[in-house]
Amino acid sequence: MNKRGPYYRYLNRFGWLCVAPAMVFFTCFMLYPILSSLYYVTRKWRGATDSFVGLGNFVRMANDRIFQQAVGHNFVYMAIQIPLMIFLALILAVILNQGIGRLRGVFRTVFFLPCVTSLVACAVLFKILLQTNGLLNNLLISGLILKEPISWLGTPFWANVAIILAMTWRWTGYNMVFFLVGLQNIDTEIYEAAEVDGATKRLQFFKITMPLLVPVILFSAVTSTSGTMQLFDEPNILTTQGGPANATMTASLYIYRQAFVINSDFGYATAMSYVVVLIAGVFAYAQMRLLGNKERKL
Amino acid sequence: MSVVRKFTLSTLVVWGILVVGAVISLFPFFWMIVGTTLNPNDVLQGIVVPGKELPTNWQKAIGNYNLGLFFFNSLKIALLTVLFGVIVNSLAAFGFEKYKSKSRDQVFGILMLTLILPGIAVLIPTFRLFVFARMLNTHAAIILPSVMSVFIIFFMRQNFSMFPTEIIEAARVDGASEMSSFVRIVCPSMKASFASAAIYMFLGQWNSYLWPLMTILAEAKKTLPIAMATMTNAYTIEYGALMIIVCISVMPVLILFLTMQRQFVAGLLGSVK
Repeated sequence: MNKRGPYYRYLNRFGWLCVAPAMVFFTCFMLYPILSSLYYVTRKWRGATDSFVGLGNFVRMANDRIFQQAVGHNFVYMAIQIPLMIFLALILAVILNQGIGRLRGVFRTVFFLPCVTSLVACAVLFKILLQTNGLLNNLLISGLILKEPISWLGTPFWANVAIILAMTWRWTGYNMVFFLVGLQNIDTEIYEAAEVDGATKRLQFFKITMPLLVPVILFSAVTSTSGTMQLFDEPNILTTQGGPANATMTASLYIYRQAFVINSDFGYATAMSYVVVLIAGVFAYAQMRLLGNKERKL
Repeated sequence: MSVVRKFTLSTLVVWGILVVGAVISLFPFFWMIVGTTLNPNDVLQGIVVPGKELPTNWQKAIGNYNLGLFFFNSLKIALLTVLFGVIVNSLAAFGFEKYKSKSRDQVFGILMLTLILPGIAVLIPTFRLFVFARMLNTHAAIILPSVMSVFIIFFMRQNFSMFPTEIIEAARVDGASEMSSFVRIVCPSMKASFASAAIYMFLGQWNSYLWPLMTILAEAKKTLPIAMATMTNAYTIEYGALMIIVCISVMPVLILFLTMQRQFVAGLLGSVK
């Protein structure tokens, strides 16, 4: 086609016409916020007025114990919840992939079901389940596992356990579906060849299945890390505003509270969200380097 | 003999894991549904036999907690987001995919760069934008920022790439305008992709919590997730009525999932295809 002809120009114009509405939204709600955040990050609010503080917000962060603890809690959830969830999701996916007959579809649906609840509904359900005089304690006591009820949401340690429990219930099936697709994409001929070469099932699993699943596991790990760094709904609802005594305060929740609850310092909140974005980026990069390398070696 | 025993033992473990997993997955749903028929104390204790309190709980949920209004607000916001979102994003994806040009590819590259950006990065500046526009406490403030989704543009573009360009060219020769070949030829043959995109956008908006929490203060404008979350902070919690509200919030998604499982999962998996 003539690239300079009027017809080409007509098609090119139509192309821009298609893209234009999305570009307007993108400019207003992505580009402008990103650019204006560069301004906010240097400001400090006192009441309704704001003033220039340069890098002052970052200095303040360096001395803000609660913020540092909050980021620490994000790290704890990352270090414990994500491996736990990926491990459980892998087990379920491998079992379902082994072929348990016609019931596979049923179990896949059942395991995925917690995903249909919103994070809020999930947090509300767990909040009721975990009351001191609630269902789980009753169950554990009548099963003789506990003598005294646990104050799940009232003690720092158990409140963190509660958050991890709720997250794991909500997300394991979701990740399992990814792994299941990954497993089904592995060519069965590879296993047949390994069988001929005399590789045991165990060897096949660790030398064929796992390495081929690395990209999917990596995807899970990266998206879960980003999600965990932004954890908000669970600590705000399940453990009531990061309680008890900030024991489950997360970075996102603290940012929200700085901007909307405790005071309205949008500058400090923006600066903290920069740090969250940076941490999520560093983790994503590190995971890709770490797991990506393993993938290349094979 | 030992082979047989080993086989049965591992089968037992496998089925044990499956059954325990299924019970853990399903129990909260079962408990939630039974809970709508119980008095607050029985919900808390975990009674799993249906009671007779459903009418009372329902009246409380509707009368004291404005369930109808919050449900309507949530539904309106989610449906409008899907309507605008599907049009805007699929049109953009079509433009990027079927009218390729160097500068548009560069624009697409910029869009894709923001895909990895955590949402929290733009939360505060976007909020300030709505403060300047004097649009806090409106449903438009919830809908507008969610209309454009880079992920959906990416997802639809991938799907459009499988649609043969020759058909569009043939329609062109037959005198169809570009827009009418998009609306009459391309769209009807890609219903499944549109369904996946619509479901994905519906879920995101129906379940969203943080952004509505930031922008909506007026009681009459609140959405279901905010209403639910607020109820749990009350001094005495009406657990039965709360369970009804949780059920009402979960049911539309559950129905969508069970009736359109393929498109539902395709929307989620679109990013790894």
